[in-house]
Amino acid sequence: MLYALMGLGLSLITGILNIPNFAHGALFAVGAYFLVSCALFMGNFWVALVVAPIGVALLGLVIEYAGIRRLYAAGHDYQLLFTFGLALILSESIILVWGPIGSSYLPPDVLRGGADLGFTMYPKYRLFVMVAAGLLVFATWLFLEKTRYGAIMRAGIENKEMVSLLGIDIKMLFTVAFGLGAYLAGIAGALIAPIRGLNPGMGPDMLGIAFVVVALGGLGNLLGAIAAGLIIGIAQALVAAYWTEASTVVIYAVMAVILLVRPQGLFGIR
Amino acid sequence: MKRPLIWILISILLLPLVVRPAIASEIWIFAIFGLGANLLLGYSGLLSFGQSTFFGSAAYVAGWLMKIHGVNAFLALGIGVGVGAASAAVVGYLCVQRSGLYFIMLTFALNQLFYFTAYQWTSVTGGEDGMPGVPRPEFPGIDFKDPVVYYALVSFLFLISLFLMRKIVESPLGRILQAIRENEVRAEAVGYNVPRFKLLAFVIGGAFSGLAGVLYAMLFGIVPLEAISFVFSGNVVFATLIGGSGSLYGPVIGSFVFIWLSESMSTVWARWPLLLGVAFVLVVLFLRGGVVEAWHKLFLRFSKR
Repeated sequence: MLYALMGLGLSLITGILNIPNFAHGALFAVGAYFLVSCALFMGNFWVALVVAPIGVALLGLVIEYAGIRRLYAAGHDYQLLFTFGLALILSESIILVWGPIGSSYLPPDVLRGGADLGFTMYPKYRLFVMVAAGLLVFATWLFLEKTRYGAIMRAGIENKEMVSLLGIDIKMLFTVAFGLGAYLAGIAGALIAPIRGLNPGMGPDMLGIAFVVVALGGLGNLLGAIAAGLIIGIAQALVAAYWTEASTVVIYAVMAVILLVRPQGLFGIR
Repeated sequence: MKRPLIWILISILLLPLVVRPAIASEIWIFAIFGLGANLLLGYSGLLSFGQSTFFGSAAYVAGWLMKIHGVNAFLALGIGVGVGAASAAVVGYLCVQRSGLYFIMLTFALNQLFYFTAYQWTSVTGGEDGMPGVPRPEFPGIDFKDPVVYYALVSFLFLISLFLMRKIVESPLGRILQAIRENEVRAEAVGYNVPRFKLLAFVIGGAFSGLAGVLYAMLFGIVPLEAISFVFSGNVVFATLIGGSGSLYGPVIGSFVFIWLSESMSTVWARWPLLLGVAFVLVVLFLRGGVVEAWHKLFLRFSKR
């Protein structure tokens, strides 16, 4: 479900802004680090969980406004280089601020330990993450499908000129979309911090996964991103149970196999 | 066309006097890598973000064969070229059917596939520590352990690569690739099998990357895990772009600037990738078109006076 969340954010950004966002993984990592710092500073996990992703979203807004906005007319190569440069800056800044060594962070007391589901024991915090991520995906879906601004965003994925001709501030739309995508990446990072701990390499690892989700699910395709995220998550979990070393590789292997059978992706048109 | 060649010959001769031979070798190796990347990026308009896949796999396979099975180093160079081409054929086959952003993301994701394979397969690749013990070529009477001699070998292979790439770019194949870059639909309509030509560009580019990969491993005596990481792919894209993609000598100049920049920055500060990132951002915001174009503009301004 977290993969779906990551893929969804990236899907929004790539779908609407039409740029390859190589900084998405770094935003995810920043989200995780923000959460832990906020939680330690304020002594409250829940406040941190609210504040940290908003911080990431603000960062996203600044990045879009100050940099990416100037590059829509440039080719993908320069956009790629720019976001890649950003990713380097962000991940090196993480090392500068928080140090190169990873650390772990425990979930709040309420969510420690396991929950009895009747047939099996399951860690409470993971259960919480699943539910929270599911709710977030659902909320994003509601926003995009049921609200006016969500409809404008979907229209922006389909046809940007038409949307701007209708008198809608397309620049504003781009900024909001990037902010929202960054928010989703940030909250995914914040949620995962108590499970996987913190390390500076977490961004690039997640970036690859997010790309796989988008490549399989289709740009700007909400349901596709969810489905692809679930497929990959389940495949990884299954393989991890039997052959731990291969669990990262399997994500990409699954992608390669799916693309061999269906070059256009699961639901892709292009 | 003659002038740049003379400049390159002069710089090959002078470079080892200015910087350490190892760094000088690294520059030309990176230039071979860039030549291959430029065939995709510049000439075919295929923005591949997975060039280190071919570079790294060739380095690992050739290095492993030399280390464990004692394969002759010159043969290993040939094998490296083959491995580069083969891995590029696999990646290319999966990628050429998609275009635009999908293409970029796929090349990156497949790069990650190879990276994590190398990362986890510690018994062969050494994982995070890299694969040490890659020997240099041996030839009676010539000592390749001497950095200057090895530098001569690298520059020689670089010149051959440059010559070959020039032939390729000027051949009908090169023209077709440029036609695809300019207008894919039209190239298709004229009757060219576009995916096949794209795949061919991948394979050739991969072969050059493979050569560079093996030379790199021999230079440092180790295949570091970074050699197959996406950062390396990003670096070669950057080097090609600052040099000015789409011109034959662009990536050569680019790798010159890039290696020099990164070497001098890395001695100053351990967190030098941060500066590199800043450099990327600044170049994109203010220096689009690369050094070649900036030079061109400067030249025009002076000639007007």
